[in-house]
Amino acid sequence: MPDNWSFVAAAYALTAAVLFAYWRRLAKKEREVTMRERSNANRSRPTADRSRLTAERSGSTAERSGLSAERSQEPSRTGHPRPDPDSRHSLQ
Amino acid sequence: MVKTLGWLTALALVVGLLMAFVVAPQVTQGNVQRIMYVHVPLILASYVAFVVLAIASILYLVRRDPAADRLAHASGEVGVVFVGLGIATGSIWGKPTWGTWWTWDARLTSVAILFVMYLGYLLLRGTIDDPERAARYCAVLGIVAALDIPLVHFSVYWWRTLHQPPSLMKPGGFTGSASILWPLLVNLLGFVLLYAYFVARRVRLLRAEAEAVP
Repeated sequence: MPDNWSFVAAAYALTAAVLFAYWRRLAKKEREVTMRERSNANRSRPTADRSRLTAERSGSTAERSGLSAERSQEPSRTGHPRPDPDSRHSLQ
Repeated sequence: MVKTLGWLTALALVVGLLMAFVVAPQVTQGNVQRIMYVHVPLILASYVAFVVLAIASILYLVRRDPAADRLAHASGEVGVVFVGLGIATGSIWGKPTWGTWWTWDARLTSVAILFVMYLGYLLLRGTIDDPERAARYCAVLGIVAALDIPLVHFSVYWWRTLHQPPSLMKPGGFTGSASILWPLLVNLLGFVLLYAYFVARRVRLLRAEAEAVP
């Protein structure tokens, strides 16, 4: 009786490939559902939460602008003095 | 729980694979008989899948419980993958042993009908928009299709077939040597565990999808 290893290899390889592909498909679908759930949860957050977030954000923007104003007075990291913004000429 | 089941499945499949190549002897067919350690468990696990589908379908029709429908759906999908692979591996074994990839004998024909019916079951689910109506129609089809399982199993007794009679599930039990029986049983356990693992994940996914729909 010939060995027929090629047939044995084909049967096992086909089984492994199909089962692995199915497993990957399940994993991919699970990831998609999780991402959809997350985006739905973000969208359905209460308005109060959202307005609080907006207030926080605008507060932090004001803080940031204050900070940048302060920073402009400080020397730069390289040690060179920062130019006074008023002394800048607009580009022609 | 599902993760533990996954690791148990992987362990059983690796042990089964080793037994199929190391423990199992090559008696009269040569190495090609090693395909039996994947072909037979795949077909028997698909029987399990379709019996579970039929029971879940009956439960759905009685109680109208969506969980029973989800189990039937998941079981049908995994069953189709398993029976398709069972047919393919059987065909690969048939070429060097019988000299043909396919023949229209009673066992092969009835199992092909089984595969097509459950493929139709999955297609039917996809074609009906109303989930309640899809579940109801599919439950009826799932029960009717399960009637083909005894036909597949007993076809080798009822008709003259090229396919040999069952090795494991026959009156009087298995008559071969233990070095054939044990690899077969370990692989059967591995594939039934794999079926359970896939179904558990698929059911979880179907539930999540149902909850995600507003």
